[in-house]
Amino acid sequence: MVDELRVYQGALIAVYVIAIASIILLTGYSGQVSLGHGALMAVGAYAAAVSRIEFGIPIVLTFFIAVLAAAIGGALLGAAAARLSGPYLAGTTLALAIGLPSLANQFSILGGEQGIFFDVGFPPLSLGEDFTQYKWFFWIAALAALISMWLLQNVLRSRYGRTWRAGRGNEVAAQLCGVNTARSKILAFTVSAGIAGLAGALLSMTIGTVSPSAFPLALSFSLLTGAVLSGISTLSGVMIGAVILVAIPELADVIAHRLGTSESVTTNLPGLIVSGLLILTVLFVPNGPVEQHRARTAKHLASKKI
Amino acid sequence: MFQFINTLLIGITSGAIYALMAIAMVLVWRSTRVINFAQAGMALLSTYFGYEVMANFNSFWIALPVAMIGGALFAAFIEVVFMRLLVKHSSSGPIASVAPIIATLGLLGVIRAVVSMIWGGQDLRIEAPLSNDGFTLAGEVLVFSPMKLLTLLTVLGLMILLSILFQKTNLGLALRASAYAPEIARLSGIRVDAVRTLGWALAGAAGAVAGMFQTVNGSGTISPDSIEFSLLLLAGFIAAVIGGLESLLGAVIGGMFLGIVISFILIYINSGLFFIAPFIILLVVLLIRPQGIIGTKAARRA
Amino acid sequence: MKAMNRRKLLTASAVLAVVGLAATAIPAQAREVGVSPTQIKLGMTLPMTGAASLGYNKIPGAAKAYFDYLNANGGINGRQVTLIVKDDRYVPTEAVAKTNELILKDKVMALLAPLGTANVKAVAAVVNPARRGVPVLFINTGFSGFADAKKYPTTYPVLPSYIMEAKIMGEYIKDNFAGKKIGLLYQDDDFGSDALAGFKTAGINFAVRVPYAAGSQTAAAAAGWITKFKAAEADVVILFGVSSATSAMLGVSAQLQYKPQWMLGSVGGDATTIKLTGVPAGVLFNAIGFSPVPATTDMKDEYVKLFSDIYAKAVPGSPFDLNVLLGMNTAFMAAQALKAAGPNPTRKSLIAAINTKGASFQNSALVPTNYSKNNHVGLTGYWVGKYSPTGDLAPIGGTYVAYTTDSGSGPVVKSNYKRPAMPAKGLPN
Repeated sequence: MVDELRVYQGALIAVYVIAIASIILLTGYSGQVSLGHGALMAVGAYAAAVSRIEFGIPIVLTFFIAVLAAAIGGALLGAAAARLSGPYLAGTTLALAIGLPSLANQFSILGGEQGIFFDVGFPPLSLGEDFTQYKWFFWIAALAALISMWLLQNVLRSRYGRTWRAGRGNEVAAQLCGVNTARSKILAFTVSAGIAGLAGALLSMTIGTVSPSAFPLALSFSLLTGAVLSGISTLSGVMIGAVILVAIPELADVIAHRLGTSESVTTNLPGLIVSGLLILTVLFVPNGPVEQHRARTAKHLASKKI
Repeated sequence: MFQFINTLLIGITSGAIYALMAIAMVLVWRSTRVINFAQAGMALLSTYFGYEVMANFNSFWIALPVAMIGGALFAAFIEVVFMRLLVKHSSSGPIASVAPIIATLGLLGVIRAVVSMIWGGQDLRIEAPLSNDGFTLAGEVLVFSPMKLLTLLTVLGLMILLSILFQKTNLGLALRASAYAPEIARLSGIRVDAVRTLGWALAGAAGAVAGMFQTVNGSGTISPDSIEFSLLLLAGFIAAVIGGLESLLGAVIGGMFLGIVISFILIYINSGLFFIAPFIILLVVLLIRPQGIIGTKAARRA
Repeated sequence: MKAMNRRKLLTASAVLAVVGLAATAIPAQAREVGVSPTQIKLGMTLPMTGAASLGYNKIPGAAKAYFDYLNANGGINGRQVTLIVKDDRYVPTEAVAKTNELILKDKVMALLAPLGTANVKAVAAVVNPARRGVPVLFINTGFSGFADAKKYPTTYPVLPSYIMEAKIMGEYIKDNFAGKKIGLLYQDDDFGSDALAGFKTAGINFAVRVPYAAGSQTAAAAAGWITKFKAAEADVVILFGVSSATSAMLGVSAQLQYKPQWMLGSVGGDATTIKLTGVPAGVLFNAIGFSPVPATTDMKDEYVKLFSDIYAKAVPGSPFDLNVLLGMNTAFMAAQALKAAGPNPTRKSLIAAINTKGASFQNSALVPTNYSKNNHVGLTGYWVGKYSPTGDLAPIGGTYVAYTTDSGSGPVVKSNYKRPAMPAKGLPN
């Protein structure tokens, strides 16, 4: 009853929810910028696929391996990042985003440019004949998103979350309070990377292959965009950004058809809308719609009190 | 023997163009403390201006200044309309330090999309003013031509001019003061906002030169997705960072260093490492010297 | 209070997700795909823009020109053939996304001539032919693995495989350049490794092999490649890359006055495309090239004459080159397959038609095809030519001498295939 395309898009939204959440943690809570989370997603995806192909590991475990591998990568990156700040960190993660996926060409086990298959298998027959592959993907991705978001929300509310926010606000003050900011930052990177790795494995599941071109620079930028649109400092709006990212190509298509424009306009409209949205959001709603709404209600309440 | 010389020459010429982009990025950083990821996009747009001139007047020597002026004006426009708005709206909150970066990324996307819509996705030719045929030395043809020589001289010339501007003129002093201590500069009567815009304009002009020369030294064609411009984006930024972000000399050294090392990696090790090499170089440099080749430790904290 | 609002939003999102899960659990209804009483829809993905699009972006126009001609002459049993084209910029993930759109949104009956080894591999994984049964017709890549009917049951190559091409090149080199130093430029992926496998079977040892990462073929990179070939003193340089890589190589060689004996692979060997990038015709002169279909300047060939006429009327002013010829040829073969699928074509009947009758489909190629149920082998060889002073590929000595082989260890033999006459008006019968 639900169109195949919508199911596929639903799975993508779930993937983006997880990926955007990883950025919210790292940038919104811990104040570190990463332009290369696409690469960390790739690490998770490749780990999952290789473990499945080479070692025949059961599917559920491959996702855990994805998280672990990406988390290790994140820890290494975080350790290096602790010494860098601002533009230097941004630059390193940018170069990582471009360079890491193309490493796949150098090791044959990683399958090169065309990648390796990541097949989660068919849905169990108990779900019926008509239960298509894409529905199966959607179920797995949506469940993974629900579970991981619940876990993440708890982590962010815990003392780790508070430590991250303290370090972001004023690093020196936090240190004076006894917070080991370097360790806290590395932890943020590790957890964020692990989450991104999960998203990467899920993304590859929907495509069916893991290849360098599944994780282009544009992906890292999209994640950042989605995080800003969601409200980078809070997890609550994470679905907003994910839905917008998936909806844009559709929207652009509809607009382009209405206007009856040329090929070059149609191909570029999605990019234009996403980038434009990003600029507008950063300019006018920098803390995200959720925070903006909250701030406005708070002001409203405060004025009422008086 | 000649392989070594040619590798070096290839590295120097591509490095010169990276140096130009790095100069542009350092100019923006020094005047407004922003990393402008859209710099390559602005360079792309300026090069399209140059293409329009070439298409109508068929002279590179007219196209280049027009591209530079166009680039400068566009950059100034962005600074006035865009960046000032940005600083006003997001100087607090978790996103303060990253907002300008993200905004310039968005700008890059917008420029690319609009350029693609106006001029289409196909390759457009820009004829080089000088020959690209290699010089001959001792019977071997070198990977160095009149065009490449011109590129090198232009980069050096621009660097010298800009350095003189920054170090020896009052305007240069105003530029430096507005970046490091805007409040004090204002108190001294410097129109800080105007000076900052000028910094962006200079960067826009430098980027235009980089874009024009990258095109005529390469395939001779531009397109919104051309590999050359993607490379310019990445290499310009990495070169600026490697050079330390603080001085124009650092930008040039960073650019040359990057160009030469990449060239040697590709030719002597493996030409399939095209996309990985810049990353490895950046990582190695930052691990050894996080402040870049010329930068000072204090500057990094900005 | 504010915390509760935030929690509400998160909960709302979670509820939405669960509802979504429930909704998709309801089974979907079966429907017919891509075929209506008046229309058959086909879909194509290829690079229309971007670095690799050089030359290949003329293929849709060519295929559509043939389909329009076909439709004007009754179509396929009264059904008009419509081709929907999407730009994937030679990026496999975009190919996957666009293919998803073609199948899920545009609901095409079959995919036609998707381009690029990496792209088709990615597409083949998504299409999941065993389950979905979507035919992937006459793919625009020569990667040998696609002929494996067990791995790709609904995918049909048409071009000779890169292994075949490399073997034929190897034989020609052994016959004509024995003892000389050979250099190879190849793409750093399955496209290139196929070629390497073929050269290995042919027993060719290279003095120098230069890989390039797909997407990195700039003029500066080409200068680097040339430096390596020069250092190895290669007498013969084989260019086994895409058109933009070949053009970059030849263009920079002209500037550096580097003049080895060039040998161009068919993928990047279209003369018109290369010349459009500014490479002087003189650089191509005497280079060796290969093609499975007749020379595009050979107006004595009945297929070339008909196709170029149709194309000239459909896209006036656009030169008739190898990309156009191959595009129209593929469209022609697709038309025959659709006709052979019966009066009420379905995806299954289309696949069966190619398996049983594919080897007898007529097309302009000068070598035979070898389709069967267990082996989806398309064209099986090439003729050898040299580029003329105007830079166009023509058979050596004026007569076509074709060679055929397989993708395994079989020998390279001279072909005595006689191409059957073209069906009337170039329409399927």
